[in-house]
Amino acid sequence: MSKVAIIDQCAGSDVRAESPMHHVKVPSVAANPGVVLEQKPFLGHMTLRGNSADDAFCAAIQQVLGVALPLQPSALVHDASGENSIQWISPDEWLIVVPGGREFEVETALHQAYSGHFAIVTVSGGQTLLTLSGPNALDVLHKSTVYDVHPRNFPVGKGITSNFAKATAIIRRPSEDVWELIVRRSFADYCYRWLVDASREYGVSVKV
Amino acid sequence: MSQINRLTQGGRIDRSKTLNFSFNGTSYTGFPGDTLASALLANGVDIVNRSFKYSRPRGIVAAGAEEPNAVVQLGSTEAAQVPNVRATQQALYQGLTAASTNGWPNVQNDVMGLLGKLGGKMMPPGFYYKTFMTPASMWMTYEKLIRKAAGLGRSPRENDPDIYDHMHRHCDVLVIGAGPAGLAAALAAGRSGARVIICDEQEEMGGSLLDSRDLINGQDPALWAAAAVAELLAMDEVLVLPRTTANGYHDHNFVTLHERRTEHLADTAPQINGQPQARARMHHIRAGQVILATGAHDRPVVYANNDVPGNMLASAVSTYIRRYGVVPGNKLVLTTSNDYGYRAALDWHEAGREVVAIVDARAKPDGDLVKAAREKGIRIITGSAVFEGKGSKRVSGARVARIDLDNFKLAGSVEDLVCDTIASSGGYSPVVHLAAHTGARPVWSDEAIGFLPGKVKGMTPVGSARAVYSLSAVLADAVEAGASAAAACGFESGGIELPQVQSATEGPACALFQVPHEKPTMRAPKQFVDQQNDVSAAAIELATREGFESIEHVKRYTAMGFGTDQGKLGNINGMAIAARCLGQTIPQTGTTVFRPNYTPITFGAIAGRHCRDLFDPERYTALHSWHLKRGAKFEDVGQWKRPWYFPIGNESMHDAVARECLAVREKVGILDASTLGKIDIQGKDAREFLGRIYTNKWEKLGVGKARYGLMCKDDGMVMDDGVTTCLAEDHFLMTTTTGGAAGILEWLELWHQTEWPELEVYFNTVTDHWATMTITGPRARDLLSEVTDIDLDKDNFKFMECREGQVAGVPARVYRISFTGELTYEINVQANYAMRVWEALFQHEAKYGLTPYGTETMHVLRAEKGFIIVGQDTDGSVTPEDLGMQWCVGYDKPFSWIGHRALTRPDTKRDDRKQLVGLKPVDPKVVLQEGAQIVRDPNQTIPMKMVGHVTSSYYSPVLNSGFALALVMGGHKRMGEKVYLPMADGKTHEAEIVSPIFFDPKGARQNV
Repeated sequence: MSKVAIIDQCAGSDVRAESPMHHVKVPSVAANPGVVLEQKPFLGHMTLRGNSADDAFCAAIQQVLGVALPLQPSALVHDASGENSIQWISPDEWLIVVPGGREFEVETALHQAYSGHFAIVTVSGGQTLLTLSGPNALDVLHKSTVYDVHPRNFPVGKGITSNFAKATAIIRRPSEDVWELIVRRSFADYCYRWLVDASREYGVSVKV
Repeated sequence: MSQINRLTQGGRIDRSKTLNFSFNGTSYTGFPGDTLASALLANGVDIVNRSFKYSRPRGIVAAGAEEPNAVVQLGSTEAAQVPNVRATQQALYQGLTAASTNGWPNVQNDVMGLLGKLGGKMMPPGFYYKTFMTPASMWMTYEKLIRKAAGLGRSPRENDPDIYDHMHRHCDVLVIGAGPAGLAAALAAGRSGARVIICDEQEEMGGSLLDSRDLINGQDPALWAAAAVAELLAMDEVLVLPRTTANGYHDHNFVTLHERRTEHLADTAPQINGQPQARARMHHIRAGQVILATGAHDRPVVYANNDVPGNMLASAVSTYIRRYGVVPGNKLVLTTSNDYGYRAALDWHEAGREVVAIVDARAKPDGDLVKAAREKGIRIITGSAVFEGKGSKRVSGARVARIDLDNFKLAGSVEDLVCDTIASSGGYSPVVHLAAHTGARPVWSDEAIGFLPGKVKGMTPVGSARAVYSLSAVLADAVEAGASAAAACGFESGGIELPQVQSATEGPACALFQVPHEKPTMRAPKQFVDQQNDVSAAAIELATREGFESIEHVKRYTAMGFGTDQGKLGNINGMAIAARCLGQTIPQTGTTVFRPNYTPITFGAIAGRHCRDLFDPERYTALHSWHLKRGAKFEDVGQWKRPWYFPIGNESMHDAVARECLAVREKVGILDASTLGKIDIQGKDAREFLGRIYTNKWEKLGVGKARYGLMCKDDGMVMDDGVTTCLAEDHFLMTTTTGGAAGILEWLELWHQTEWPELEVYFNTVTDHWATMTITGPRARDLLSEVTDIDLDKDNFKFMECREGQVAGVPARVYRISFTGELTYEINVQANYAMRVWEALFQHEAKYGLTPYGTETMHVLRAEKGFIIVGQDTDGSVTPEDLGMQWCVGYDKPFSWIGHRALTRPDTKRDDRKQLVGLKPVDPKVVLQEGAQIVRDPNQTIPMKMVGHVTSSYYSPVLNSGFALALVMGGHKRMGEKVYLPMADGKTHEAEIVSPIFFDPKGARQNV
């Protein structure tokens, strides 16, 4: 018997799923919106814990995900397809985001590839990813987080966890003009309402 | 007559457009570019307020943030009321409506003034304390009347129609102030490529350059200022914030800026494209380096009747003439201790009005400005000062005499001059307030005759904020500081060419604070030090005589520098006077502490958008919208919104809860338990870790089995509880209380990281990931069997076990654990599928009588079973044994566990500790009050000996009686005894101590 219980938690595409923002009201789209807010629902989110000083652990990640485990604090790396990413969260914690439904396969493969002490936990139901873009995206971030999001301090390929209004969020910059926010399910409604409110003066377009 | 004091030309106002405004109900006109103060002065309005304590008529003294008197109530509607606006800082706009904050029935004829006129003898410092001290019970009554008499503005009684927000910003260099020093420093820093923020509190950037007599590159220095601002605006990495006051300077170069975005436009913010815009914005700045270019305030001279309207700061007179084209009177007497005060007389003379005399405290003044005044034929009286002003509602004259400052007395005959304005300049006080906010005490400089900012790491004062006054020196100082600050952040400045400056050279100033009078200070007419708080020199002298030797005590006794004023004009004079009275130097006397905020901030800006429905996060489960549709009433549990109960129609809470309880006991109920904290624990040492963190044993818990666990703090007191399940040999799922979830995860990490890092175990929160639906009641198995492929046979899936399988087509983990005492299944699915599974169960609602229930019913059901709620039945002083849960403590575990040692102390073994028991009211209709105190003898005298209190109390439909859980001293050995609960209404309830398990004591129902 495996020493860790892994189950495929996905019910398949024919079973109705509701994202954390299933219920929200979407405001009418402003002309020339300064802020574009979009949810990328139903992605596969996994928390990875482990010892990056162990080369075998790093090699297993590389083998399973096709991306090297980022060792620099706050680094965010994607694979060539751009669909699989790993973000450094803390010295022994990373966030893996993959297309929804791949979690079981990744968990299983990692346990096969590496038998040392580590943990991988699927958290796809517990959080969701939003993208924030548009000419005023930075202004909205200034209103929302105490973290320094200036490009000099926050280059492409960085991701951090910080406060977001009165909640917390993972804030990441996968490309020049796009910011990603990962918020917890139970705070998603609050964060969404905060974002729409903060964007209002710039005009906002929302897709959930 | 309109704008009698307005010059036909000059000033930075736009005469092509007229603005109408009203003050105290009278209509006036002004021009764009005016402040409310300059417009009032232009219209010849002398009295703008009544003073705080003595109700003396007061006029405008200053031209900026330091104004003590012209504090007005703004707003044309009730909702738009703003108290405590300085007229000197309020830009004029069309339709502006303002009123004095003090004065009844009005500022011209004020009833309180009569009392004030009776004078200082009637109202010495401490007057209110001394007069209204007794009887103490009347203070609340006195206070209301005193407050009404004292004025100081009022809050709006209607909701604020405006919104406010916050911005968090970071920069390399923050420059506070955009006068010559600030602009030059910002240019030097900005050109290096550093990230720079520059803010200035005024309508227009430029500071003293906007009313200076100096020339830069042979031109009006305002042109240089405008060019500098334009260059800064064009820089990518520079943020220019006009109308923005640095209000608080906190540790580590965290500075709060208050940006007034629309207050110059209207009293409520105009909309943009149909969207509201923030009326004010608070910028939370984290700066690498701070450059303090806050300038200096002209210091008034303290002489008798120096508060009568028409007494002004010399620098303010210059500002009104040169910046606003307003001469605030006809005949001027200037009393000064320095050369720069002369600018007021020169400007006044050039405006075509009469300068009666310049009274200079120095024996032989001889700077350029002095010479210029002589050349214009202005009379200069040296070695002298104005020691008393004449007049009551407007200055009518000035009394002048030679002064002997060494002996603090007049030294010659008195000359009475006729005038309507007395301008005074006692020298500059650098604006040290912000530096002082950080705790850095200002440092006295004999050379500067003033306090300089104390040292703050990463902060550099420049220009007149550090008593560098000549313009060329200011610019050189600022450029150097700006470049150095950028360099400290890693940016090399290419250097900056200093412009050519032509300015007057100045002779040395002398120290002049209070002018001696013919009479002793205590008998002379009032010599005001702090006009906003009505503190006179005599009050300070009295305070020192009554034994207040610390300047902080003098401040509190007299109110000097209190409130919105924060000692801008008065504090240095007050300290100098206290020093003289105490026979010590000013540095020995020291300063009081200047506190944030530098000028008042509207509460809206402090709250930002954290108000109304964004005040605090509301956490929702995946099933929240179902609960809403079903008409749930919600209870706040931490930030979670949990269904409290589900009323049907007009059902009362009592009826709904009774119905829900019976449904669970007789059929089947369902609870959304998703808020329970859930922590995934993996690693080969997970089991060992659990044994150390919980009080009970874990080494033998088999795979697929669940166990209840208690957690203690190291003091042996219960801190959390929950069920933990062994999912695989090295894999556990811990549940915590809803409120404890975040704290327990931190607790586990703390112990792992600091005490037992050698244990191989990882903890991850999965609270939000798993939705938890609890179905409970005799028909729970039948209901679940409709939608699952899991074998529910009672021998194959026992109580306290876990199974994996499909529920409604969704992969699920199902746990047989019970918080109700009934047959229970907790269904856990990935939260995105929660609604589908929940709705699938409700397809069988009618068949099984499935009833949704909320937290109230959950509480009743668990209390009937004697199940505790940590934080309700415990309060951090309760041990497992106090709860009667010694079965849950493994004293013989091989490795010590948290709380073990504390639980072996004699104190935790006392048999008279408060212990958990049940209480059965003798009258079954009584539901005891939670928190009610328990006594053994209801007839004892008060104060009674209290032996315990009620922790949980409900009405039980199955018992058809009230029942309660309580903590009672030695309660475990008092079963069957009667206790009494005396209530506030005089009734006393009687109850019997019973077992805390009221229902199904053998636990048969959950094991079926």
